[in-house]
Amino acid sequence: MELDFIKSSITGEEMYYGKHSSGLGVYIIPKKDYSKTYAIFGTRYGSVDSKFVVPGEKELTEVPDGIAHYLEHKMFDQPDGSNVFDKFSKYGGNANAFTSFNMTAYLFAATANIEENLETLMDYVQSPYFTEESVQKEQGIIGQEIRMYDDNGGWKLFFNFLNCLYQNHPVKKEIAGTVESISHITADYLYKCYNTFYNLSNMSIVVVGNVDAAKIAQVIEKGVKKNEPFGEEIKKVYPEEPKEIEKNYTEQKLSVAMPLFMLGFKDTDTGYGGEKLLKKSIEINILLKMLFGKSSKLYKDLYEKGLINNSFSLEYTMQPDYGYSSIDGESSDPKAVYDAVINEVERVRKEGLSKEDFERIKKVMWGQYIRSQNDVEDYAVTFMQHLFMDIDYFNYYDVYKTVTFDDVKNRFDEHFVKERSALSVVNPV
Amino acid sequence: MESLKINSNINLYYIPMTKLKTTTIGVYIHRNLCKEEVSKNALLPYVLKRGCKLCPDSEAVAKYLENLYGASFGASVIKMGDDQIIYLGFESISDKYAPEGEKLSEDITKLMMSVTFEPVSFTDEVVGQEKKNAVDRIMAEINDKRQYAMLRCGQEMCKGESFALSVLGTKEGVEDITVQSLKAHYENIITSSAIDIYVCGDADINALADEIKQYTDKIAFKEAKIPQSEIFAGKGEVKRVTDHMDVVQGKLSMGFRTGIKADSADFVPLMVMNSVYGGGAHSKLFNNVREKLSLCYYASSNIVKNKGIMFVNAGIEFENFQKAYDEILVQLDAVKNGEISELEFTSSIRALENDLESYKDNQRMMQIYCLGQKITGTNYSIDELKEKISRVTIDDVKRVAKNVELDTVYFLAGKEEA
Repeated sequence: MELDFIKSSITGEEMYYGKHSSGLGVYIIPKKDYSKTYAIFGTRYGSVDSKFVVPGEKELTEVPDGIAHYLEHKMFDQPDGSNVFDKFSKYGGNANAFTSFNMTAYLFAATANIEENLETLMDYVQSPYFTEESVQKEQGIIGQEIRMYDDNGGWKLFFNFLNCLYQNHPVKKEIAGTVESISHITADYLYKCYNTFYNLSNMSIVVVGNVDAAKIAQVIEKGVKKNEPFGEEIKKVYPEEPKEIEKNYTEQKLSVAMPLFMLGFKDTDTGYGGEKLLKKSIEINILLKMLFGKSSKLYKDLYEKGLINNSFSLEYTMQPDYGYSSIDGESSDPKAVYDAVINEVERVRKEGLSKEDFERIKKVMWGQYIRSQNDVEDYAVTFMQHLFMDIDYFNYYDVYKTVTFDDVKNRFDEHFVKERSALSVVNPV
Repeated sequence: MESLKINSNINLYYIPMTKLKTTTIGVYIHRNLCKEEVSKNALLPYVLKRGCKLCPDSEAVAKYLENLYGASFGASVIKMGDDQIIYLGFESISDKYAPEGEKLSEDITKLMMSVTFEPVSFTDEVVGQEKKNAVDRIMAEINDKRQYAMLRCGQEMCKGESFALSVLGTKEGVEDITVQSLKAHYENIITSSAIDIYVCGDADINALADEIKQYTDKIAFKEAKIPQSEIFAGKGEVKRVTDHMDVVQGKLSMGFRTGIKADSADFVPLMVMNSVYGGGAHSKLFNNVREKLSLCYYASSNIVKNKGIMFVNAGIEFENFQKAYDEILVQLDAVKNGEISELEFTSSIRALENDLESYKDNQRMMQIYCLGQKITGTNYSIDELKEKISRVTIDDVKRVAKNVELDTVYFLAGKEEA
């Protein structure tokens, strides 16, 4: 396997990258003097992908909700009855996995025996073994995981918010599914999803840490099992999502101390990945901080009135297919916070944005990028998330430097639209 | 690590860690955890955060940080045994990543000094707002049920002792604070507490020491020591407490006495024992309570280093209380009987070594590690501690496990449960 090499003169970061003949994307980022190495093996497949057409087939396949996450759990069972955690433990690797809306990833962190841990990772993710009995057994564990989230105010707040913004898109559904939906999952369904989405041409591996790139590349090359890359894309089918939101308000009661709120705006300028998407995300993130961040007039007013506290946070979530900005926190009066946000947007629409604020906040984005390279785990995960959106995170600067005040002004008009805003509240019982 | 004594109370520590792209500074002010001042200590860092001579209000602080490429400044309180620590933390990207060659580490240090030694935020307005926020934080402890169950277990276990106090203080305690009483408290503690300042990353430590000396030269300090923790003794009988709340999943938290002090020779074997028992996916609790019996999504144990306490936590269906409770104790007996496989044992050792080694890549964790070592007086470097861990045997684990005794069983149940 031939790897290319790139070095950034601005950040000092280095990377080896390439594509294996199986279709697997390989990215190795050496971090000199680090103790820890983190490897993540992921697929472009998440909870939103319940309807798809397998390459070579004509018919649509539809599977129960929550299956991507269920499959993640069941990957830890091995054909020889052994437990994957035991293998990692033997080499001191701390193994884990996660499923999000758009990806499933298997990973380990280790400070020794990196090659052995990596071999183990490569091996088990390519060794599916499901029986009706083992699938059945997992219902109890995942059932408890779902129940745990049912008591989690922040989690419920988030999904209720998504259910306001989206009418049809499956991002509104819980990642783990429901106790009911997972009861329909069978070994056959798991194999069908595995054989589709875990084809190596739909996967990548990212290794960040104190590693010798050539040796790591060798382990990966040796670790690839027989795989016929798909000649065509896996067709993921999503229902059509209108620009309009489902509803602008929702509330639920849970045992929390003070009302929790999440409000935000649905992004309707979607349908693309790559540099264009990265640029949009930088613009919206800058705007969120300019309008509502800690140095903003709005933040000061709300904080001093006691309507928000330190738990206040801002975020823009990007995906090629959907996106939204969100503001969340605790407040004795969430509706007053929502009204203040909308009024502030209207005020800025009349009075304009401040160029000085823009220049200052743009710097914050650079600091965030530099900081994201500190921790091998955050770095690897962030890198892969961007990769799966066709964004070259390594060359972030090339896009960052092109963001102008005019871009941000245009983005403000486009994104912060009252009619596409919603408020989700979790009230105390 | 380099250490410089500024005066009788203030110590400055420098851990280079320049492989990372940030410079992190932590100010740790040690206070004895006690009813009289717990609430004031809990409120103070949030008031200090609101303004200093350099940046007189929140907006000025925010803009200052943004200009340093989004440097961060956090304030909170930490509980390490009976030591209540007021924490002020700062982080900025290191100078060499500043595109215009700005001296970011100098500027973040200036903010640290001004916040610590030149507060201007003791006003009715600020203290009033932060008192409300402090009460909200106390009330919000119920939001995370998993943490809350463990907190309640500890409270019931140590009822009447200072360790039962929440690090956030009490609602009544916070409400009683006035601008004058808080200001007087600040003036008192800044001169009469052990203060540790840790700097990691890109910094000129000698220049920083000189600067701190200049700031503190005219202050008269009263010599202070780091508070020492008492090992929890318990009463012998097992205490059982159930709370009811509107929840769908039960949270079981069991408190155990270990009787082992953090500076005793048995403490390192106790770390291994905890790892074998419930310290991760290699542990007995994970593999039996979760994997074998499918009773829960999480089941784990952890030790409170300076108190001789161990907790076991699990989230379960209400009706599975007895099954989970029994299995948790069965697994403890297995450890006590030395029924530990070679794989369980080596996995536990490796997991601990791995965690420790990872601290070397994280400036904040490194500070907390060194601080923890200083508080217990052990002062082991990471490599020394790893070496001690590697010498622990299954017999050692078996021996220390025999000290572990159940003290308190706490269950957070649903509204409808009997």
